[in-house]
Amino acid sequence: MHIRKDLSPGKQSLLTTGSFLIPLFLWTIVSYAPFIWHPDIKLQVSADRSGVTTVFTAGDRVSKEFFPTFSEAIRVENQAIMEAREQNKPIIGSRRDNLKKLRHLAPLAVANGWLEVKEQQNDEKLYGVWKGLAEGSLKSTEVELTEENIEVIRSNWRLLSAYAPTYDSKRYPTEAMLKLIPQGVSSNPVYLPAPHEVIQAGWRDFTTKPDNDMPTMWERYRHSLTIIFWGFTYSCLLGIPLAILCGSLDFFSKLHEPFIDFFRYMPAPTFSVLFVAFLGTSDAPKIMLVFVGTFFQLVLVIANTTRLLEKSLLEAAQTLGANRRQLLKRVIVPGILPNLYNDLRILLGWSWTWLVIAELIGEKTGLTGFIDTQGTRYNFDRVFPVIILIGFTGFFTDRFFHGLRDLLFPWTEEAQTGAKGPITRFILRMSNHSSYADRTKA
Amino acid sequence: MSSTTKTPVFFALIFFFCLGSSSLFSKTLKIGYSDWPGWVAWEIGIQKDWFDEEGVDVEFLWFDYVASMDAYVAGQVDAVCMTNGDALVTGATGKPSVGIIVNDYSNGNDMVVAKPGIDTVKGLEGMKVGVEEGFVCHLLLLKALEENGMSAEDVTIVNTPTDETAQVLASGDVDAIAAWQPNSGQALKTVEGSKPIFTSADAPGIIYDLLCVSSESLEANKEDWEKVVKVWYRIVDYLMDENNIDDALKILSARVSLEPAEYEPFFKGTKILTLEEALGFWEEGKGLDSVYGSTEIVDEFNVKFEVYGEPLDTDKYLDPSFTLNYAESLE
Repeated sequence: MHIRKDLSPGKQSLLTTGSFLIPLFLWTIVSYAPFIWHPDIKLQVSADRSGVTTVFTAGDRVSKEFFPTFSEAIRVENQAIMEAREQNKPIIGSRRDNLKKLRHLAPLAVANGWLEVKEQQNDEKLYGVWKGLAEGSLKSTEVELTEENIEVIRSNWRLLSAYAPTYDSKRYPTEAMLKLIPQGVSSNPVYLPAPHEVIQAGWRDFTTKPDNDMPTMWERYRHSLTIIFWGFTYSCLLGIPLAILCGSLDFFSKLHEPFIDFFRYMPAPTFSVLFVAFLGTSDAPKIMLVFVGTFFQLVLVIANTTRLLEKSLLEAAQTLGANRRQLLKRVIVPGILPNLYNDLRILLGWSWTWLVIAELIGEKTGLTGFIDTQGTRYNFDRVFPVIILIGFTGFFTDRFFHGLRDLLFPWTEEAQTGAKGPITRFILRMSNHSSYADRTKA
Repeated sequence: MSSTTKTPVFFALIFFFCLGSSSLFSKTLKIGYSDWPGWVAWEIGIQKDWFDEEGVDVEFLWFDYVASMDAYVAGQVDAVCMTNGDALVTGATGKPSVGIIVNDYSNGNDMVVAKPGIDTVKGLEGMKVGVEEGFVCHLLLLKALEENGMSAEDVTIVNTPTDETAQVLASGDVDAIAAWQPNSGQALKTVEGSKPIFTSADAPGIIYDLLCVSSESLEANKEDWEKVVKVWYRIVDYLMDENNIDDALKILSARVSLEPAEYEPFFKGTKILTLEEALGFWEEGKGLDSVYGSTEIVDEFNVKFEVYGEPLDTDKYLDPSFTLNYAESLE
């Protein structure tokens, strides 16, 4: 390892892979080594406590301190049901209460593949699951039921089968059945789901169509990209000409830049209410926010880039008799193009930052709308895939434009000395006419 | 030279024109709605295409509650779902509206949730409370303080968007929050051992939930709004039938990204009113069992706590005629 010396390309790509693997490895260790952290219980079987509006469903996490209180509350309720039954004065509940008690087995049935995800309210099939577990013909392998719960299942089945051995929606007991006792596995807090949970949630979200005609993830993705595209395009269309003018003619620089410099300190999101007022609530204010967020920076940065163009180039052209228009067209624009391109790459990264704020204005849309809703509901396993998607999108677009730079501006120093990928090398070779010339000579 | 400087202006004009024109020519009724269970119920009519069946062109836009009122004030929607109290606040500070449907009254789903260790409203003395300032849960909090012989000065208000209250309570930066379901439920779930120390069930009749329409739209599209009322009572009838409960829960819970089982308890805390019940609450009266009485009391309350300066003409904010006409049409 020599200070300030480039590594060989092979080593470089090895390290690049490593830089991604290290955090992944740490995440895996924290998630799967049971002795590290794991302060919570992830519920596999849940129950409703009577008189409490807070409902825990399978998949929710509760702390290890709270879990015993939770399951004890259910045991006490079961105790009361049993005692009343023994005194021949059984507690009469509602048909629906019993229905809900039976449904608490649904997530377990899904985990075992006995039910489809969409069938969790299919009471007829669930009836069969209860029967199978009580009579022993089904055995849950994915979630190991406690003895206590198997007892509950048998006891409830005795009651159910006495009413109707096969499912009949009209013949349902109203006598209170026992509740399943909550059980679960040790887990990390909800904000650090394990890798497989994130992958499963991501897979589900990206492959299933959400209810109520809400947009699919791909539609959301496309929506977000559209906002970025238009916001950034308008920024470029208006900003680049203005910036080049400011950078080349002091008149425009002094006329525009002080105000722009002042304006860019006003945080763009503070205008969001204003944007909603005159642009509506759908896409327009969002595009406008991305525009305002990038435009002012863009003008200043590119004006500066323009000013950095070597003065000797301008002087030489002037000596050769170029007029103002020719200077702009033939010297300044081609001269700054490679740096301008780099500036735009950085500014495109900026616009993603603004997007995340913009999508929450008015109607929440796109990927951020999803992140916001799921984050509020503490479904972080569904949030992470989207964040990772945004990260990859940014990373790969930048890689793409980076590669394209060498093709567009092959005369620049970075393009000639920097390492190139196989595709760039191939295209460069194909388009390199001098190589043909050499061959004909030989 | 001059042509180059005009270019940006030209682009900007095109830009704004393209954006603006799309909304100018449509006659669609735009209604802003948000996550309160009484208003999520509209989703049933939307998903079942009942508006199409009635022949009324509506577009429901989903917002955060405060954002929906902002959109209404900005004229981006023709109607918005608000509580009677917030209709007054929005009217006093932005744009008045006319309530034509009473969807429900809050029966416990609006809550003040305190962290473990605080069991009563009195325990809030000197504490920080996260609540969206000036809106319905602020009203509930002030009511809770008043009923316990305390005043607004006894607590420190931390202005918090309602959909972030659960996170804020979990962060420990505040000692209690005030929010409605599903946000209050999220707070209870996230912070173990936290409990509701005061709910709208303790102050029945101070929160009615309405569909509030701008008077321009009401005048211009009277027939269309009558059809909207008709669809609403179709939704109510549907919800009242116990056989539909699973189907309804599926639609409602999906709208707010919850599990159906988590949504079910909300029915108790939001008393959705049948036509007959609604007609009862529409009758003029001084007490909290009349929408008129309630709105007047809330108006006095808002002035007392300086939410706005002058008392409003509350009768102008309410118009029972649409509900009455619908009831008559059934006879």
